[in-house]
Amino acid sequence: MRTRAVLGSIFASVAVLVVGWQAGAAVVVTSTATTSAPQASGVTPAPVVGGTPTPAATPTAVPVPAGPADGTYTGASVATRYGSVQVSIAFAGGAITDVAALKLTDADGRSVQISNRAAPLLHDEVLASQSANVSNVTGATYTTRAYLSSVQSALDQAGF
Amino acid sequence: MRHVIETMGTVASIDVTGAALVDLTELESIFRAVDARFSLYRPDSELSLIASGRLMLTDASETLLASYARALDWRAATHGLFTPHRPDGTIDLNGLVKAEAIEQAGAFLDGSGCPQWTINVGGDILARTATLPALTGIADPADDSAILCSIALRGTRRAIATSGSAQRGDHIWRGGDVLSPHFAQVSVIADDIVTADILATAIVAGGPGALDDITDRWPVDVLAVGRDGVLSATPGFRAALSQ
Repeated sequence: MRTRAVLGSIFASVAVLVVGWQAGAAVVVTSTATTSAPQASGVTPAPVVGGTPTPAATPTAVPVPAGPADGTYTGASVATRYGSVQVSIAFAGGAITDVAALKLTDADGRSVQISNRAAPLLHDEVLASQSANVSNVTGATYTTRAYLSSVQSALDQAGF
Repeated sequence: MRHVIETMGTVASIDVTGAALVDLTELESIFRAVDARFSLYRPDSELSLIASGRLMLTDASETLLASYARALDWRAATHGLFTPHRPDGTIDLNGLVKAEAIEQAGAFLDGSGCPQWTINVGGDILARTATLPALTGIADPADDSAILCSIALRGTRRAIATSGSAQRGDHIWRGGDVLSPHFAQVSVIADDIVTADILATAIVAGGPGALDDITDRWPVDVLAVGRDGVLSATPGFRAALSQ
């Protein structure tokens, strides 16, 4: 029951954090879970979560005494003044390793695809794609004169 | 077979794979017609006649009115980040009609029985892919001769457009102000070229707030390059990166 209570409080506070983020507040989700119930003072009262956490991954052989077992836990969908919010949290070694918003709706009740938002991309991640054999190049609109010095011009001359 | 056509102040590169017979004269006439009707640098174009007061907007052609109506719809949808109005009140449809010309040329190639083709007009690309994806490079805004990365256009993800503040930054207006944009370059992948083109323009004009809003509301994949060189990409864009 203790594990469940801890998870419940974490889900509740994460839901508040997500709502705060959605409302435009700067929010940092720390990567460490504590066993005490996180306080979300000064924010909308934390909704009571009635979700049943179900580990998606096989728990490790040695359970962490004071924290939830390793795995991914999905909270219940919580109705907030900003719409419904549902999050999942991944634990490893008693620490939160990932928080994902599964469902968010905006003030009009429309579903918000938070997962479509842009996130930082490292230059290293795109390096491998530079060598691909491209046949066209997209770029900010070039004039006829700028075209002459563009990569596209070279590709056109090569007959790609 | 690659065809290069100089039109609308820029260059169109059209690549048709296979042995399909394409009436090049007719293909070129699509771009010429758009250029002749909408270009403000042509003093005799229909839009120039309206701009100079020689033609009433109410007497304009159905073609022009349809494009203007479409541009106004996009202005409303982007909360004014895309607008067909210059600060001085002139109607300028340049931000839309190039993409519309690409649309028409694509329909023409489809109608000619071409199974695989790409149309690149001034850096905005629409592809029809049958078997192979259309591998497309994204120009490095910091270096004209370099490619930042490449992505694969395939299936329904057929269009990519890029807008920037480095070149021709003056075609992005906001409330009559010249802003210092947050992004140096924004590329948008979408199912159609008009959506890609207009939303790329809107994100450059609106900055990070517009990037979040637009990726929330439209099914598009985006790569944004900050003026500081920092890259931001949506999950769909990462997935489209070619290896």
